[in-house]
Amino acid sequence: MSNQKDIAKKIRREALKKNWRLFKRSKLGMIGLYIVIFFLFLSILQPILFITGVWNKGVYDPVVGYSEQFQEFLVVECPKEYPTEKYKKRSDCPGRTEVNIRTLFYSDAQVGETIIQNLQPAPPSSKHILGTDSLGRDVFSQIMEGSQVAFVLGLLSATLGVGISTILGTIAAFFGGKIDAYLMRQSDLILMLPTLPLLFIISAFAELQVWHLAVVLGTIGGLGGSVITIKSQALQVKVKPFVDSARITGGSRMNILFSHVLPNVAPLALLFMVFSVTGAIASESVLSFLGLLNIDMSWGLMIYLAQVEGFIFSGMKFWWLILPAGLSVTFLTGGFYLVGRGLDEVFNPRLRDR
Amino acid sequence: MYKYVFKRIYQLIIVFFLFLVTSYVLFDSIPGNAFQNLLLNPELPPEAYEQVIKLYGLDKPLTERVFLYIGNFFQGDFGYSYKHYPRTPIDLIAERLPRTLMLFAMVNIVAFYTGFLIGKILAWRRGSKSETWITVTSVFSYTIFYPWFALMMLWFFGYKLDWLPIGKFLYPEKWYDAPYDSDVIFVSMIKFTAVVSILQILVYIFTRNIESLNLRRNARFAGFMVLTIASLFYWNSGDLLIQKPYAMDIAYHMILPIFTVTVVAFAGTALLTRTTMMEVMKDDFILTARAKGLSQRRIRDRHAARNALLPVVTSFIFTIVTIIDGSVLTETIFSWPGMGQLILQAVLEEDIPVAMASFSFIGIFALIAHFIADISYAYLDPRIRIQSQG
Repeated sequence: MSNQKDIAKKIRREALKKNWRLFKRSKLGMIGLYIVIFFLFLSILQPILFITGVWNKGVYDPVVGYSEQFQEFLVVECPKEYPTEKYKKRSDCPGRTEVNIRTLFYSDAQVGETIIQNLQPAPPSSKHILGTDSLGRDVFSQIMEGSQVAFVLGLLSATLGVGISTILGTIAAFFGGKIDAYLMRQSDLILMLPTLPLLFIISAFAELQVWHLAVVLGTIGGLGGSVITIKSQALQVKVKPFVDSARITGGSRMNILFSHVLPNVAPLALLFMVFSVTGAIASESVLSFLGLLNIDMSWGLMIYLAQVEGFIFSGMKFWWLILPAGLSVTFLTGGFYLVGRGLDEVFNPRLRDR
Repeated sequence: MYKYVFKRIYQLIIVFFLFLVTSYVLFDSIPGNAFQNLLLNPELPPEAYEQVIKLYGLDKPLTERVFLYIGNFFQGDFGYSYKHYPRTPIDLIAERLPRTLMLFAMVNIVAFYTGFLIGKILAWRRGSKSETWITVTSVFSYTIFYPWFALMMLWFFGYKLDWLPIGKFLYPEKWYDAPYDSDVIFVSMIKFTAVVSILQILVYIFTRNIESLNLRRNARFAGFMVLTIASLFYWNSGDLLIQKPYAMDIAYHMILPIFTVTVVAFAGTALLTRTTMMEVMKDDFILTARAKGLSQRRIRDRHAARNALLPVVTSFIFTIVTIIDGSVLTETIFSWPGMGQLILQAVLEEDIPVAMASFSFIGIFALIAHFIADISYAYLDPRIRIQSQG
């Protein structure tokens, strides 16, 4: 008996090795994996930095931290007509280390003097790798917090959604009849509901926090179209000879369902999981971008703040407020998508290059 | 086939009733009774208040209210908007819908076509360097964070280069003494676009079976030119000559949203086409075609791409559902006053009649799209047809 178990273990290990070899062959899949690992590293790094005391919580906290950035400013008077020798456009004055005397209400400084003033949002420096936002909070720390939120939300909702859809899909395929009809109509219904307006309505009657949103997204994703796809896969497995032989040798229905059908549906389910992480992260960012979530800090919220505070249209002058958050969302979702594509080439025999 | 159609209709009707019940319960569970909102609005006359009580039967239990709502729904009676008081939700939707349809029908057609072409080439050049680069680009534009990207586009084209307008769908100063309402212009633009696209599709269908590929391409180009010249004549004749400057104004405002959404939306179709093409190319008939000595382009366009079209067309029909869904973000960012902005504002301001009406309306839209997708799939894929007969 123990010998048999060993053999089973060995076979599983061999299969894993083979799949890993296949996955390694797709270059884009590996790039995606590296991106995901990079963001995972970022999200783990932040608590470590806080615990070891490298970062002071009062300065680097992504939500309530504050960093003083004193800098010398030259007091100038902006001309009324443009262009002049020094400034080409109205938006060039005052420059980065200058302050317009007309906006200086709290000091008696004259034109040509220098004053020391707190500069927020501060550009990137050795202390703050990606600078600070308009409230003096470290942007890099916010990016790390955002990636924690993204991972928690993405993985939680994907696991929940895929769990639901795998169980329902196999049940629908295995039992058929009325259960099948009911489950299929239910997926039709969920597919009919427009996702974003539905999330707006839900956010109108519940204060959505990260894990609430994960549950909602997971449930919607799990009851929707993926049930139909997993059901069709399970139907294909159900007619395979090994299921028949299991039935003939006296396997109970539950036994066949859990030890024969489910493991064969699992690769497809894993694939769905990876793709639905992408969707969950994007939905969270969209909802925070519209200001509908009750979240301390996330990538979507960072873009929302940059937009409502008017930094988006200041162009690349404040690039550290605009680029990092938007690119993080794009790269992490893209990374998960590429991993999913790599897995697709492993599990889908028709796409395999052999 | 008919049996299958009737079965689907029957099932969809049940689903639609479920949808109505679900949406009512969802709106009902929003805390803060709609009436408290009403009472606080001093502009609302007492008749409207009474009417809304009667209409929704808000003093009755939940089950009765649901039935009342379904009854009212089929009479097309949604009450009055709280925020735009004398107007009904139907009126608001009728005003907003042409704008959304105009924008997103264009976007979807353009994105679908470019996506299909790019996906076809991608699958064909599997393993080459250009494939990797195009794939990386399409994955990037598929997963890019859309609101952020749209804002960047606005900043670049609208502010930095100052080529295109930043928001809204018209310049108000041009419309002070306009003889037409903007909706009239929109309707005539929609009619024009629909007719032109149908004619273009007809040209495609008729030239489909021309054997020589060069001749086919020339015939298609000639058809396109004829259509362009005809539409120029059309817009310069009679009544439309007066409408033309206003239509041009709207079209000018449409360029940036269309371009932005297309850049994001084509990638999904391209990636899907690539996958299905690659599956088809493993089939035996491609090998046969190669053995017969057909040219590469002919195998790609005639044998592989046509068979890969099926799931792509279905997904295209499903995107009709996401038109309004995706329009929420686009319309918010480009301040395009359409359906998406209507539903977002209605939900945020708790204008429940409007929110309910537009939500149900999207439901009907989705229902019809699903029905068309199912039927066309059954029609295009003989296996489903045969199964349903047996």
